[in-house]
Amino acid sequence: MAQVKNWQLKKEMKYPYEESRPNKQIAFVFDTNKCIACQTCTVACKTTWTSGPGEETMFFNNVETKPYGGYPLKWDVNTLKMMGEQSWDKTSGEYKGKTIFDDTKGENVNGWRPAERDYAFPNMGEDECSSIVNKGAFFNGIHDTWMFYLARICNHCTYPACLAACPRKAIYKRPEDGIVLIDESRCRGYKECVKACPYKKTFFNMVTRVSEKCIGCYPLIEQGEQPRCVQTCIGKIRMQGFLSKPGEEKADNPIDQIVHIKKIALPLYSQFGTEPNVYYIPPIHVPTDFLHQMFGPGVDKAVEAYKNLKDDKDLLAAFLLFGNSPKTIHHYKREGDFTVGYNEKGEVITKVPMTEPVYVRPYDDKDHGTFRHNTP
Amino acid sequence: MKKLIFIAAVTALSNSIATAQTPVNAIKSGKVANIPLREVNNAVWSDIQAITIPVFPQNITTPMLTTPSVKNIKVKSINDGTTIAFLLEWTDSTKDMIVDADKFCDQVAIQLPLHPDTLPIFMMGNKNGRVHIIHWKAIWQNDIENGFRNVKDAYPNYWADMYPMAEKEGDGTKGKFARDISAVDYSKGTGKNFMPASYAGNPMSIFDRKEPSEECMAESYGTLTTQTNQNATAWGVWENNTWKVIFTRPMVSPDKEDAPVTIPTKIAFAIWNGHFENISGKKHYSQWIDLTTQK
Repeated sequence: MAQVKNWQLKKEMKYPYEESRPNKQIAFVFDTNKCIACQTCTVACKTTWTSGPGEETMFFNNVETKPYGGYPLKWDVNTLKMMGEQSWDKTSGEYKGKTIFDDTKGENVNGWRPAERDYAFPNMGEDECSSIVNKGAFFNGIHDTWMFYLARICNHCTYPACLAACPRKAIYKRPEDGIVLIDESRCRGYKECVKACPYKKTFFNMVTRVSEKCIGCYPLIEQGEQPRCVQTCIGKIRMQGFLSKPGEEKADNPIDQIVHIKKIALPLYSQFGTEPNVYYIPPIHVPTDFLHQMFGPGVDKAVEAYKNLKDDKDLLAAFLLFGNSPKTIHHYKREGDFTVGYNEKGEVITKVPMTEPVYVRPYDDKDHGTFRHNTP
Repeated sequence: MKKLIFIAAVTALSNSIATAQTPVNAIKSGKVANIPLREVNNAVWSDIQAITIPVFPQNITTPMLTTPSVKNIKVKSINDGTTIAFLLEWTDSTKDMIVDADKFCDQVAIQLPLHPDTLPIFMMGNKNGRVHIIHWKAIWQNDIENGFRNVKDAYPNYWADMYPMAEKEGDGTKGKFARDISAVDYSKGTGKNFMPASYAGNPMSIFDRKEPSEECMAESYGTLTTQTNQNATAWGVWENNTWKVIFTRPMVSPDKEDAPVTIPTKIAFAIWNGHFENISGKKHYSQWIDLTTQK
C-alpha cells in the first residue's frame, strides 16, 4: 500500500497505488436545494446507456430521498457501519477515522456486496420524511421533519475503490479527463469492484456476466459537451466541469470557485477516502448532525455561504451558469450585468443576466383597449 | 528488484510448503484405447489410480481466500496417444451453478507450464514464464445442459417492454417483447450496442457456448488471457456431494500456446467453491505436481 495525499481528508492515507492525478479531473456540482427528483436525469441516462438485457435494474444515475431512500438498499449505511467511528478534528478539519483502504483483511478494499434484491427497489423511501409531522409544528429555520433529494452518479474518484479492488487491472482512470472506466473486453465479472465501491456505482450484468459503470458520457466530454444527466436536468441543479488540482485553483473556473475557493459544495461521504468528484451543495433546512456525517465538517460554513449567496456576486455568477449551456464551461467572467461562460478555447458559449429583467404589465391595456385579468 | 525479491519469497514459500506436506505421488497418465469425453463414471477410469493432492487457500496476493472449504483434490489421467484426459474429483456439498450479483459458481482449473525445463511460479506463472490454463465453470456447464440463463430464467415474472434496437428484421428479434428475445438473437443486430461486453468481444459474454471450458494463458496473476484457439473440452457432473470434472486436450497440439504433455512436465490445480463466494484470487491452489504420460 502506498501513502497518498487526500485533500478532502487533509491527510495522507493508504491506497494500493501511488498518487497519480490526471491532467484534468472531471467534476460535478449538484445543488440538492434545487432538485425535485423528477428523475429526468435518471431516464436520460437509462435510455442512453443501460436499456439492454441484464441492465434492467441498473441505474448509473439515480435520485433517492434521504434519510430513508437508497439505491441499492442501504448502500451508505452498510459501509458507514463497517467503518467504525468517523470523527474529524474540530480545529484542523483533519479526518481522524479509518477509510475503506484501512483494515482490509486480505483484500485491497474493505467493502460489502449487495444482493440481487437490493437493486430491485430504486425508489424505496421516496418522498418519505424523517418522522411524522406533529400537530402544531411550525417552521423555525431548521425543519423538525425533513427530507431531501440526493442525485447520485459515479464520483469518478481520484482514488477509485473499484480500480483498487480489480485484480485484473481492468479498471482505469483516464489521464486526459479523470473519467474512471471498466474495460469491457478485459473484465471477467469477479464483482470485486461491486463489493469495493462504497457508492455502489459499479454493477454486475447477469447477461454479459461482467461489470459495468457510469462512463461520464465520455463521447460527449470529448466533444466539449456536458453529460446527458447534466444537459437534461430541468431544475438546472447540475454543472459539469474540471476541477483543478488542490493548490492550483483558478478563480475564473466556476467549479474551482464553488469547490476550492468558496467551499460551498462538498464531497459526499469523503471519509470513505476515495476523494470523490461530485460536489454537493448541502440542503440548508436539514439538521446539521445528519449533514456532518454526509458532507463532513465544512457543512456549516457551506450552508451559511449558500444563504448569503446573493451578496457574493462572483459566486452567484458561477451559479447562474448552471443549466444554461450544453457545453462544458471552462472559464467564466462577470461582465456588467451578465455572467459569461467560455469554452476551453476561450470562445463565449453562454451569457446569462445576473438579474432576470422584470416586466410589469399594466392592468389597463391601452393598446388593445381592454383590461388584463389575472386568470389563466 | 522488488519483483526479484518477491519471486524469491514465493519460491521459498513454495519449497517450504512442499517440504511441510507428505510427498505427493506423481500423476501418471495411463494409456487406454478410448477417451470418454463426458462420462465421469466410465469403467475406463476405474483401472486408474487416483492421486490425492492437497490444496491451500490462496494467501500470496490480494484478494486472498481467508476461509478455505476444500482440502484436497483427487486426480486421474488417461491418454489414447492423441488425446490426454484428466478426471478431477473434490468434495463439495453444494452445487453452485449460477452466477448473479450475489451468486458465485463452482470452478476448477488445471495449469501446465509452457516450458517445463524453466519451471515458472506455480501461482499463474511469471513474466516470460508462461502457463497454459484450462478452466471449467459450473455456470458454463449449466449453459450447455440447461441453455443460457437469461433474465426471464432468473426472474420469470419480470417485465420490460422492448429492448431498444430489437426491431430490426433479420436479427431474429422481429420486434418481440424483451422477455421473448434470446441473448443470442439480441446480440446479432444493433442491439449489441446495449451489450457492451459482447460488443467488445469479451469471452465471458458468449451466449451459445459449445464447451463448459476455456483455454487461457498467463504470465503471473492478473494477466489471464483467453487463447485464440480453443481445442480443449470439459464436462462436469455433481453427485454424492462431489464434483467430478473431465478435462481433455490434444497430446500434441498445433497451437503454440498449448503446453507440451508428451515430455515429463508439471501440473497444478485450482478450485473455487461458489457457495463461499470464491472468485478471482479467492481460490484453493496446489503446488506443481509431476506429470508423465504412458506411451
